[in-house]
Amino acid sequence: MNNRKPDNMRFCESSLRTSLAALSLLLAVPGAAAQANVPWVRDGEAAFVVSHIAYALGPEAADSGTCPQGMTRNLQEIAAMTTEGRQRAGESDADYADRLKAAAKVLGTGPGGEDLCMNPEAGKPDPYFRTVQRSDVRVDGIDLDGEASTDDFLGEDGSAGIDNQWYRVVGCSRSYQPAGQSNSFNISMLTGSWGILVRLRGVDDIRNDEHVDVDFYANADPIRLSPAREPLAYASYSPHSEPRYRASTTGSIHDGVLTTVPVDADFQNEVNSMYLNRPLRAARLEVSISADGELDGYLAGYTPVEAMYDMAYGYRNGWKLGGELAPLRLRSGSANGAAFVLGHTCTGAWYALHDNADAFPDPASGKNTAISTQYRIQAIPAFIIEQQVTPKSPALAGEGRGE
Amino acid sequence: MRVASLPARIAAAAIGVCLCVPLLVALVGCGEHTGRAVAVEPDPVGGPALLRRLTESQYRATVAQIFGPEVPIVARFEPGLRTDGLLAVGTSEAGLSAFSIEQYDAAANGVADAVLGGEWSKDFPACASRSGDAYDAACASAFVTKYGLELFRRPLTDQQLQRYQQAAKEGTAKLGSLEEGLKYALVGMMTAPQFLLRIERSEDDPDHPGRRRLDDYSSAARLSYFLTNSTPDAELLRAAGAGELRTSGGLVRQVDRLLASPGYEQAVRAFFRDMLEFDLFNDLAKDGEIYPAFNSEVAEDAQEETLRDIVKLLVTEDGDYRDLFTLRESYMTRALGVIYRQPVSSRDGWELAPLSSDGDRIGIQGQISFLALHAHPGRSSPTLRGKAMRNVFLCQDVPDPPANVTFGIEQDPTKNGGLLTARDRLVAHNTEPACAGCHKIMDPPGLGLENYDGLGTYRSLENGAPIDSSGNLDGVAYSDAAGLAQALHDHPEVPNCLVSRVYSFAVGRDIVWKERSYLDYLIADFEANGYRLPELMRTIALSDNFFAIESPADDPENISQLALAGAQGGS
Repeated sequence: MNNRKPDNMRFCESSLRTSLAALSLLLAVPGAAAQANVPWVRDGEAAFVVSHIAYALGPEAADSGTCPQGMTRNLQEIAAMTTEGRQRAGESDADYADRLKAAAKVLGTGPGGEDLCMNPEAGKPDPYFRTVQRSDVRVDGIDLDGEASTDDFLGEDGSAGIDNQWYRVVGCSRSYQPAGQSNSFNISMLTGSWGILVRLRGVDDIRNDEHVDVDFYANADPIRLSPAREPLAYASYSPHSEPRYRASTTGSIHDGVLTTVPVDADFQNEVNSMYLNRPLRAARLEVSISADGELDGYLAGYTPVEAMYDMAYGYRNGWKLGGELAPLRLRSGSANGAAFVLGHTCTGAWYALHDNADAFPDPASGKNTAISTQYRIQAIPAFIIEQQVTPKSPALAGEGRGE
Repeated sequence: MRVASLPARIAAAAIGVCLCVPLLVALVGCGEHTGRAVAVEPDPVGGPALLRRLTESQYRATVAQIFGPEVPIVARFEPGLRTDGLLAVGTSEAGLSAFSIEQYDAAANGVADAVLGGEWSKDFPACASRSGDAYDAACASAFVTKYGLELFRRPLTDQQLQRYQQAAKEGTAKLGSLEEGLKYALVGMMTAPQFLLRIERSEDDPDHPGRRRLDDYSSAARLSYFLTNSTPDAELLRAAGAGELRTSGGLVRQVDRLLASPGYEQAVRAFFRDMLEFDLFNDLAKDGEIYPAFNSEVAEDAQEETLRDIVKLLVTEDGDYRDLFTLRESYMTRALGVIYRQPVSSRDGWELAPLSSDGDRIGIQGQISFLALHAHPGRSSPTLRGKAMRNVFLCQDVPDPPANVTFGIEQDPTKNGGLLTARDRLVAHNTEPACAGCHKIMDPPGLGLENYDGLGTYRSLENGAPIDSSGNLDGVAYSDAAGLAQALHDHPEVPNCLVSRVYSFAVGRDIVWKERSYLDYLIADFEANGYRLPELMRTIALSDNFFAIESPADDPENISQLALAGAQGGS
C-alpha cells in the first residue's frame, strides 16, 4: 500500500503533455483569434458543456504485455478452475452451467451469508483480480502531484509522473480494454441522465491569461443533440443550484492551454437505471482551447475508493428516479450481474481499489482513501443560465439521492 | 378617379416575360402606385364564384369548431397547389384525387366514431325518447339538421335532409344500431362536396343593377374563413339567415365580432403561413454534417417564431406591417437559440428576447424561417433568398432558370478555385449572358443576407474570406443586413404586395384586371391607416367588392354554376 502523498499535496504547475502542446502550436497559426473577441466569449465569460468523457487509460493488455498473469476473472471462471469445477463426464452443458452458477453463488457469499457485492469487506482478497504491476507503460493522463514516484506511469511522450492508479486497477479487466463495455458511461450523459458544465469568467485573452475564474456545475438539463446524436454547440443549460453540485476554482491559460487549481467536485453516473455520485477530489482541468471554443484534454483528480467502488462495481448507494435508494434487489442484482458479464469479482475490485489508493490518507490509519482518476474530456461552447430550476436530468431529480 | 398602375407582378405577367431583362424594365416601370388616396370604394367588380377546397388548417379548424377540439382527425392531407403566390388561390384550382377522397373518408369515420362514441344524445332532446338500437326518425332528423347546417354552412334543402335521414335509416338497419346509422349519415355529409368544398352561390345584386353578389350563406362562409380561418359559427349563420349581412350595421357587427374573436389570430397565422410559403418546410432538408442543429423541432419552432412575431406586432400591438422587416426582438426557444447562438432562459417554452446583435440580425427576413427555407441543403443562396424576397414580399415574379443553365462554377470546387464567397461565384456565374438578367434582380437583395449561413447562423467569413453583404434593392444601396432591412421597410411595393396578397387570400383568386381601381382603394386605405393589417382586413370585409361576383356576361361559361349543379347531382 502506498501512502506517500500528503493531504496538502503539491500540484504540478507546468506538466503539460506533448499532445496538448502540439494542439496549442496548432492554435498559434496566423490569424487565430487570441483576444477574447471570439463568439464563444461574451463579456469575458465562456461556458462549455462536456460533450465527451471517458476514463483516460493505458494500452490494450494483449498488445503491451501489461498483464502477464492473465486477465481478471469472474466467479464462475474461478469456480471452473477448481477440480470440483470441471465439467464431469456425461454432464450436459446446461447442467454444468447451473452447477457453476451455484458454485459462483457460494463464492460470492460471505461467511455470515452476506452478499459480497454489497459487503465486499466481508470477503477475502481475490487472487484472480489482476492489476497492472508494471509502471513503464505509457498511459493517458497528467501529473497530478508534481512527483515521479515508482507507481507513476509514463506519459505519451515518455516523461514520468503520470498519476493514474485507476488504470492500474482496471488495466487487466476485460471490460476496460479499449473495446470493453465499462468505459462507455459517456452514453448515459448523451441520453440526458447527467451532464457537466464548465464556465470561465474573467477571460481577457483565450491564448494567455494569468487568471480566470473557473466553475464546474452539474447540468440540470439534458444535453442537446443533433439527429446524429452529436452534442450541439451553443445550447442553453441551467446548472444545478445546490452547492454540492457546484465547485469554483481559478486557473490560468498559457499558450492556449487552460490549467486549473484543484477543487473538490461532484459529478454523476447512471448504471442500469440507477444514479450514482461521481466525486472527484482535487479535481483539475488541463485542456487545450481551440479557436472554435472547444476544450480537449483531461479532467483529473482523486476518487474516494468507496465511492469508486460504488460507482463502478457495487452500486450500494444507487438511487432511483426521484432520489430514493434503489431497491436492494436492483442494486445487488446489478452488481452481481455486472461482475459476471464484465469479468471481475466485487471483493477483488474492492481490495484492489484500497490497495492502489494513492492520496488523501486517513489521519487515524494512515491508509490512503482516494485513488488517482483521470478522464479524457472534450467540451463545446454553451450558454449557462443561472436560475432556480427543477433538474430534468434524472440523476439530479428528486431529493435524497441515495442517502 | 385616377387609375393607378398594377403591382409589378401583374405587369410582369401581362407582358409575358420569360427573360429577366424585360422584367427588370417592368419592375422599374411598375414599381409605383399613384400614392393618391382613393377615399370611396369603387363600384364592385368581382370575379367568378368559386369552388374552394378547404385547406388542411381550415378542415381541422372546422371540425374542431363543430365537434370540439378533442375530436381526432386521423388523415394525411395532400400538399396544396400554390398559384399566384398563394395556396389559398390554388384551393380553387386543385382537384380532389382518389387518395384525397380516401383520406377524407378515413378522417370522417374517425370523427364519426368520436362524435357518436360518448353521450352524444344529450345534445339532442329529440333523441331522449329513442328506443334501444331502433331507428328513430325524429332523432335522426334533429341530428342531420344540426350537423348538416354546420357542415354545409347553410341549411339543408329538403332533398338533402331526406337523403341523409334515409342514409341514417338504412345504416341503422344494416349496421344494427341507431348510432351506427347516424355515423353512416355523418360520414356521408363529411365526404360530400358541400363540406369539402366551399361552393359559392351568387344572386343578383339589387344595389348594383346588372351585377351579382354572393348569397347570404356564401357571404357568411367567405367572411368566416377570411377572418377566422374556420367555418361560420352559429351567430354568423343566424345573421346570414336573417339577412343581416345585407345591412350596413349588421355586417359591421359581424365583422367586428369576428375580428375580436380568438379565431382572428388563427386567420392571420393562416395567411402568413401561406404567404411566407411555410408549406415548403414539409420538404426542407439540410445536410446533417454541415448543419447538425437542424431537425424537425427547429423547423417547427422557426415557423412558430415568425408567426408569434407577426401576431404580436400586427394583432396584439396593431402595429405597422412594414416594421416586421426591422424587428429587433423575437420569440425564442432553446432549439432556435443553438442556431442563433443566443442564450435562452426558458427551458421548454418561448421567451421574447432581443435578437442577437451579430451582423445586425433584424426583421423576419433575418429569421431561420426565411434564411433556412430559401437556401440550399448545404450552403446559403443569395439567389434563392433574393428571389424569395422578390416573390414573397414584393409580389414580383422571377422566372425559373433556363433549362440549359450550368451550375458548374458554383457546385464544382475544381472549377471555382479562388472563388471563396458566394458573391465571387455569382460574379463569375453572371458572366453568362443568359443568367445575368435574372441574377441582377435576385442576387443584390440576397447578398445582403450572406452573413447568415444556409441555416441562419451568423458568420463573418466564408471559406476564410470576409463576407461583403452590401447590395442594392431597386436603387437603394445598403452595406449590411440592417440596411437591407430598412430598404425593405421603405420599399413602396412592400405594402402594395401585402394588400394584393390579402385580397387574393380573401377571395381565393388572383386579382382581375377590372379590380385595379379597387386595389388602389385598398392600398390607399392601408397607407392612410398606418399600414395596419386588422384595419385592412376590416376594410376588405366591409366592402361590396369583397362579396361581388362577376355578372354572367363576364363569365359566359358560368363554370361555377355548372360545377355547383354537378355537386348537387352527386350528393
